[in-house]
Amino acid sequence: MTDRDMIVCRCEEVTYGELTDTAEKFGCTSRELKLRTRAGMGYCGGRTCRSLVDAIALAATERDVTQITLKYQPPVRPVHFGDLGVITND
Amino acid sequence: MTERILEHPVLGSLEAGKTVTFTFNGLEYEGREGEPIAAALLAAGVRTLRHHEESGKPRGIYCNIGHCFECRVEVDGIQGVRACLTPVRDGMAVRESGVLPSPVRDWRKNNA
Amino acid sequence: MRDLIIIGSGPAGLTAAITAAEHGLDVLVLDEYHKPGGRLLGQLYEEPGGTWWNGIEESRKLAERAGVLGLDIRLGKSVHNIEQVNSSWLVHADCETFEAKSLLLATGAAEAPVAIPGWTLPGVMSVGAAQVMTNVHRVKPGKRGVIIGVNVLSSAIAMELKIADIEVAAIALPKTNQVNGSASNPTEVMNALLHVSHMAPSLFVKMGSKLMKNDFMKKMGITFYPKNGVRMWDIPVMLRKAVIRIEGTDQVEGVTLATVTADGKVIPGTEEVIGCDFVCIAGGLYPLAELAALTGCPFYHINELGGFVPLHSQDMRTPLDGLYVAGNITGIEGAKVAMSQGKTAALSIAKDLGQDIADTSLSEAVRQISSTRTDAHIQFHPEVDAGRRKLQEYWDLHDAEKRKVMV
Ligand SMILES: Cc1cc2nc3c(=O)[nH]c(=O)nc-3n(C[C@H](O)[C@H](O)[C@H](O)COP(=O)(O)OP(=O)(O)OC[C@H]3O[C@@H](n4cnc5c(N)ncnc54)[C@H](O)[C@@H]3O)c2cc1C
Ligand code: FES
Repeated sequence: MTDRDMIVCRCEEVTYGELTDTAEKFGCTSRELKLRTRAGMGYCGGRTCRSLVDAIALAATERDVTQITLKYQPPVRPVHFGDLGVITND
Repeated sequence: MTERILEHPVLGSLEAGKTVTFTFNGLEYEGREGEPIAAALLAAGVRTLRHHEESGKPRGIYCNIGHCFECRVEVDGIQGVRACLTPVRDGMAVRESGVLPSPVRDWRKNNA
Repeated sequence: MRDLIIIGSGPAGLTAAITAAEHGLDVLVLDEYHKPGGRLLGQLYEEPGGTWWNGIEESRKLAERAGVLGLDIRLGKSVHNIEQVNSSWLVHADCETFEAKSLLLATGAAEAPVAIPGWTLPGVMSVGAAQVMTNVHRVKPGKRGVIIGVNVLSSAIAMELKIADIEVAAIALPKTNQVNGSASNPTEVMNALLHVSHMAPSLFVKMGSKLMKNDFMKKMGITFYPKNGVRMWDIPVMLRKAVIRIEGTDQVEGVTLATVTADGKVIPGTEEVIGCDFVCIAGGLYPLAELAALTGCPFYHINELGGFVPLHSQDMRTPLDGLYVAGNITGIEGAKVAMSQGKTAALSIAKDLGQDIADTSLSEAVRQISSTRTDAHIQFHPEVDAGRRKLQEYWDLHDAEKRKVMV
């Protein structure tokens, strides 16, 4: 297995090659990189690969240390639709 | 095959506990009551808990504390249960959910 | 409505719950793990003076005290969302919603990985996973392991594996790539290790820290670092070898190591395969602050604290009414610091809810956090004090802004 084929985001199986190519092509921020590749958007919510994806994005952009709000979306743990109260039975 | 640590020089000997019987993918296993499914399976030499829903590649525990969801299995019909923090119970039926058809990725592969 | 909900039953959350209950507050503790204690459970090390810090025992003591106080602790409850509605906090856990006047986030830390080809194979786990398997569940993660990543946590856990009679074939660096950063650079890793020399993981490090006060000596040190590593508790610590691949078809069968230059470049032709049945990934810890991020709380990235941390004061208040933080969510430190932060948070909360808390007891609690920090046996970042000062400056700035708005 080469580095390019190495998985970075375990949930969505996004590879190192996909991420570095996308970062290079679009010079994108971490958030944009995630949206373009789906890295960090899977089951675990990016808890595992976040720092890796950030590192790739940071090679192309500067870190904003005073990022006033960190971007996270609820739910931070996967929930069954029924549990969210979205589905009612009547 | 891994083993249980029965004697530990600092933590002492493993307390005697109740044994429970559960199944994983239809096969019967024994575990210690109160321990997580993943620990019981590892003690029985089982590392692979699921296959990736799209690629079918084998996966086991990664973080062991509920963060990564790599250990997700189906327990008594409920999907997405983390084997690393769900205690085994007598009669529990654990199975992997299997590989899913993935229209989005297949579409992306051919079109994007 | 309850006075307080605490998310996380680690050392910070449990200590806060106990202190709050002692001051008459009505408290609910939620945790997704099946045992109280959080990451304290897996900890095991010898303290200077020869006593053991036994995390299971410490967790049991905390849980016992909580039991005596009749605390409501609900385990196996994952919180997936929190929101502030009017002047109360709603906490959504699985299919239930709980409500309280104040909310304390004590969700601790998570492990950051390093990425190596093959790291998704069964048998590859985070180093913390191996710690919990070994010390908490008492199941060996495998017969023979390789640890990738040389840092404070991985050296501590390597020793714990050794105590449990599990063979650690090597601790080595991860290979260099865009994501592994300084963890794959021998010189930088050596530097970081020398800073924690008070932990004295080996005589070598202890002596090394004295010898290598200047850069030239450090460079020499890493250049002449023995290729097969220095043995620490009989485990080879390889600063000049990196794991370039994890081998195996259905599960881990071994790793491929290669010799690297002082700045981490693989020297071609030096590859060798060593057999093992498990691999630990040790990329360090970062504050698990996702729930705070849902509230709009301001965040700052502070390297010395391990990453992005929610803005908070020394007495554990955030800028949001009724929202508090304690423990590793505020920065990566040991369990004793987390406990003293938990106590401080509870006093702040009790005070804000109108309980009679003397200013002196609160300032004494804040002082205790610093003294615990100074005496800490385990320190994850040598400059943690500087990190805390940076955060305090951000807080002061924020406070001044708020006052301006108010006049
Ligand atoms: C894997 C690992 C190993 C460590 N090993 C050591 C060590 O050997 N020595 C050392 O000094 N320090 C170690 N640490 C650092 C450790 O974080 C501190 O020592 C201390 O445990 C921090 O206490 P805490 O109360 O802040 O958080 P924790 O002890 O981490 O407790 C947080 C609790 O919050 C719960 N939680 C988190 N999110 C949610 C949610 N959304 N819903 C419900 N519950 C939630 C978790 O299940 C956990 O029980 C380790 C950390 C990690 C992550
Ligand atoms: S192993 Fe990570 S969630 Fe279970």
